Amino acid sequence: MKRLKLILVLGACLALLASVGVAMATTGATTGYPQPRQVVPTTLSAPFENRYVLTAVGSGAGIRSGEMKFEFEEGSSPQFLVGISQFYVYSPTGEIETALFTFYPFTELPGGKGLKAPVLKVGASASYGQVTQDGEIRLESPVGDTMKGTIRIHGDGPWPVEFRVLGDAQSYHGSPPAAKQIPEAEPTNPGWGADASEYVGEYELTNASEDPTAKAGTLGAVIGVAQGLGVNGAVVTGGSMKVEGDPAVATVKVQTGASNREFTLTDLAWEGDKRTAQVHDEGVESPPVGRFEGTGGKGMVKGSLVSGHSLYKVEFQLK
Amino acid sequence: MKSRPVVTLLLLAVVGAVLVAGCGGGGSSGGSSKGGSSGDFASVAEAACTKTNEQIAALGTPQQAQVSKYMERTEALIEELHEQVQAAAGDGSAEAAYVEGLAKAVPLINEMTNAARNENFDAVRELSSGLIEIHLGELAEAAELKTCAEVPVSES
Repeated sequence: MKRLKLILVLGACLALLASVGVAMATTGATTGYPQPRQVVPTTLSAPFENRYVLTAVGSGAGIRSGEMKFEFEEGSSPQFLVGISQFYVYSPTGEIETALFTFYPFTELPGGKGLKAPVLKVGASASYGQVTQDGEIRLESPVGDTMKGTIRIHGDGPWPVEFRVLGDAQSYHGSPPAAKQIPEAEPTNPGWGADASEYVGEYELTNASEDPTAKAGTLGAVIGVAQGLGVNGAVVTGGSMKVEGDPAVATVKVQTGASNREFTLTDLAWEGDKRTAQVHDEGVESPPVGRFEGTGGKGMVKGSLVSGHSLYKVEFQLK
Repeated sequence: MKSRPVVTLLLLAVVGAVLVAGCGGGGSSGGSSKGGSSGDFASVAEAACTKTNEQIAALGTPQQAQVSKYMERTEALIEELHEQVQAAAGDGSAEAAYVEGLAKAVPLINEMTNAARNENFDAVRELSSGLIEIHLGELAEAAELKTCAEVPVSES
């Protein structure tokens, strides 16, 4: 029974994918989705049944453009919505990749202001035969031809999104225009938490990679220097962080084999789970060479530390 | 009278045999072998590696702006090391493999230096994968070159 359900859901996904970007609105593309436990009143969900193009998105989401379609499951009673989207996203190496998502099951936002649904990952990025939850989409009821909301994907976000309703005859033929990138609000609260005791102390690196300089002999040092370079993510084989002082300053040590680098982070700021700082490579007084942007909380800080042309992905845990 | 040259020849043969036996026997560090290194090569290579490792370690870890100069200096040092060990290498397979490893590294480091001059640091990193694949430390271990197998530790 479970397998039958899965086959039906996957079949429906494929049918929906085929329907995204089709000029004329079609009906009956979604079949096989089981009746959700929670019923959303049709008066609330009916205005969402449309095709959309992404017009604006938070810059942190890494989404360039996209199209989306919501429609009622054929023959469902009571009627329920299923959504499908095709986003073009920036890969870590800067290339454009296709990301396919379905949105199901929809539930009501508090106060009946709109709908929310889990974001399910489908297609090439999911393992065969699996539809995995990747985030959540929250949408306010459309106003005119505009629909606003937020999206969380890849375990990150939320980021603001804005869609425009497409007319029946409108189509971008699979090449939707680039959405406006909404700059993210910068955290302004000083430190990396409401209370210094939450973040002051010594941290250990928890995402160390294998040492590429091992067994390299005399070449180990130059390999260590080289592997610690690059905007695509330098190799980090070890490291530590110490946060102290008022205003708080963080000393970050990263190792790539026998090659050691030390950075000083100033202007620590936070907002929700967001953490930012200025990066200096020669002490507090030296000019900033980059930024740290990431997330944190409960003794954990993780994110990207940029120094010039190098980017270090680091995850620290308070000891 | 005729027996004197025969005795002389016999004496020479005995002395020669003793000398050959003396050279061949005892001590594994004597002649060149197919596995490890000859004594001369090992001492030359180890001395060269000690000096090179010290000089590389003294360069420290460069900041972004100094990567190009760091690469230039490292290139010169590895090239010099290669020339020294190549000149001392015998016919052992392990030492030949170590010299070959260094020979492969030299043009790669040259490419990395050029990339660093153009501030293409991603290319510097990608090219360094070629250096990793050489496994020079393992080649040094196989050639019984202890110092050459060590990774220079930066002082800063």
